[in-house]
Amino acid sequence: MTTLEDPADLVLVARDVRFDWADLPMHWLPGEPVGTHVLNVLHLLLPAGERFFVDLFTQALPRIADPDLLEQVRGFIGQEAMHAGAHDEVLEVMRAHGVDPRPYTDQVEWIFDRLLGDGTEAFFVERLAIVAAVEHLTSVLGDWVLHADALDGAHPVMLDLLRWHGAEEVEHRCVAFDTLTHFDDSYLRRARAMVLVAPVLTWLWCRGALFLTAADPACPRRAHLVDWARLAWAGVVPNPLRLGAQVAKWFRPGYHPSQDGSTAAAVRYLATSPAANR
Amino acid sequence: MTAVPRDLRGRDRPDRAMATLAAVGGAYRSLARRPGRAPTPVDRTLHLRVAERVVVADGVVALRLAAPDGRPLPVWQPGCHLDVGLPSGRRRQYALTGDPADRRGYRVAVRAVPGGSGSAEMHALAVGDAVAVRGPRNAFPFVVRPRMLFVAGGIGITPIAPMVRAAARLGVDWRLVYTGRTRASMPFLDVLRSPRVAVRPDDEFGTPTDLLATALAGAAVYACGPPPMLDALRADLPASRATALHVERFSPPPVVGGRPFRLVLARSGVTLDVPADRTVLDVVREVRPDVSYSCRQGFCGTCRIGDTLICTDRAAGDRLVLDL
Repeated sequence: MTTLEDPADLVLVARDVRFDWADLPMHWLPGEPVGTHVLNVLHLLLPAGERFFVDLFTQALPRIADPDLLEQVRGFIGQEAMHAGAHDEVLEVMRAHGVDPRPYTDQVEWIFDRLLGDGTEAFFVERLAIVAAVEHLTSVLGDWVLHADALDGAHPVMLDLLRWHGAEEVEHRCVAFDTLTHFDDSYLRRARAMVLVAPVLTWLWCRGALFLTAADPACPRRAHLVDWARLAWAGVVPNPLRLGAQVAKWFRPGYHPSQDGSTAAAVRYLATSPAANR
Repeated sequence: MTAVPRDLRGRDRPDRAMATLAAVGGAYRSLARRPGRAPTPVDRTLHLRVAERVVVADGVVALRLAAPDGRPLPVWQPGCHLDVGLPSGRRRQYALTGDPADRRGYRVAVRAVPGGSGSAEMHALAVGDAVAVRGPRNAFPFVVRPRMLFVAGGIGITPIAPMVRAAARLGVDWRLVYTGRTRASMPFLDVLRSPRVAVRPDDEFGTPTDLLATALAGAAVYACGPPPMLDALRADLPASRATALHVERFSPPPVVGGRPFRLVLARSGVTLDVPADRTVLDVVREVRPDVSYSCRQGFCGTCRIGDTLICTDRAAGDRLVLDL
């Protein structure tokens, strides 16, 4: 069967998702406490970043001089706000299971509030570049989670959260990039942002996995670097080599996020997501 | 730079990794010297004219909109709509219902709704009239699946018709259930003749109850029609053989049953009137165009001011005070 082109010109709208966490086990990836915590780092890392995106893009809104981009940024803000809220709920569940994520989340909040907080006009645009770089990574991860069949055995509500979030990341993958280029199309600026963002986020992710596996009394051992290779081989975390290759595309001159990822896959998932179709 | 957070593992000292990161952040900040440019304004308006006006069913008019010089229009996909600026200044969205391969005209079909100001203005347009539109934009993305069931209620056929044609062309195993009040009120019946189409006017078959009955196993359902029909589909989906339901993302519903009240912006000392049919957000935006909001349905929280979600909340009494 032939197919149509990937859907384009999407109207972005936040979805009123609800998740029922009542029976979420601590280790929602069956038999894989370390793998669970490697993915749990996302719940610790993302909300502070997403709230930072919401604030920054709200500041950008009155200055955007393109009505279509304005509407997309409006939708982007709502989607990011919903993502932050959903991950926060998981943190509550973790606390109820006796794992306190606060030492780590305090640090992440400090990074976004203080290190990346207010600054000059030049830094405003630089922060747009940082968000565009982070959004490139989240859309790569979103595309991965939509296709990661090895996760099918995970707890269904958590899997729905990850795939709903991933699908919306794929759906809105061009917004931050287009906003950045609306203000500044310097190749140097966007390349520089990724040189900062990719290593720092990778390091924060590893650090988070070490933190959570130590903080969870029910986790048999701490995460180790070889766990990444083991879990990637099993398909429950992204393959670092493939991830690296996807990230490298960012550095191609003339790159645009519409060249990567499948809106169709996102649309397909969102039509089946229990949280998004109550 | 404020104090570095405490050590991650609870040791009594500032976190060394965060201190390192602060140094990296400082160095990075010093690289960002060049401000961005002032964005160049982009005008997305298409100035079109009514090229054709046809009555296609009882109370339904189809309009073909084209550029005055006949130049090709921006491409679109099944599911896309146009944002039409009406002579009165109102804006309405209409699904594109023509053939995407026709690059020189956009076709929309509009049902006259009793008391509907937008549809009345659309029906009043004559051939040659100027219409300013924006778009096409896609709030109903169409993704081809091996098995598909289309469900259209009345004028909801407009976005569905191009999807059906695309599905037929691409070899999809598809079905269409098309409901309406009467045959005469249902547009495009002549072009939708196929054994795969079930036409179900209420005056012959009664109000439909089993819209998903013909769904093949694993079918993706694309539905457009009145809200009660979509609610029924949503409720019936889990027990059916279909596995996915695609509906259009609608703009927020109008305010119904609201009462007028006074709105006080405490910090700026401004007092405004919120009429019965408008939201606090609508009124605030007139004086504060940069106020934050997104979903306009009271769930995303981006418009929250204090305890008030200004997109949906109203005054409990006759006065609401916002810290703005």
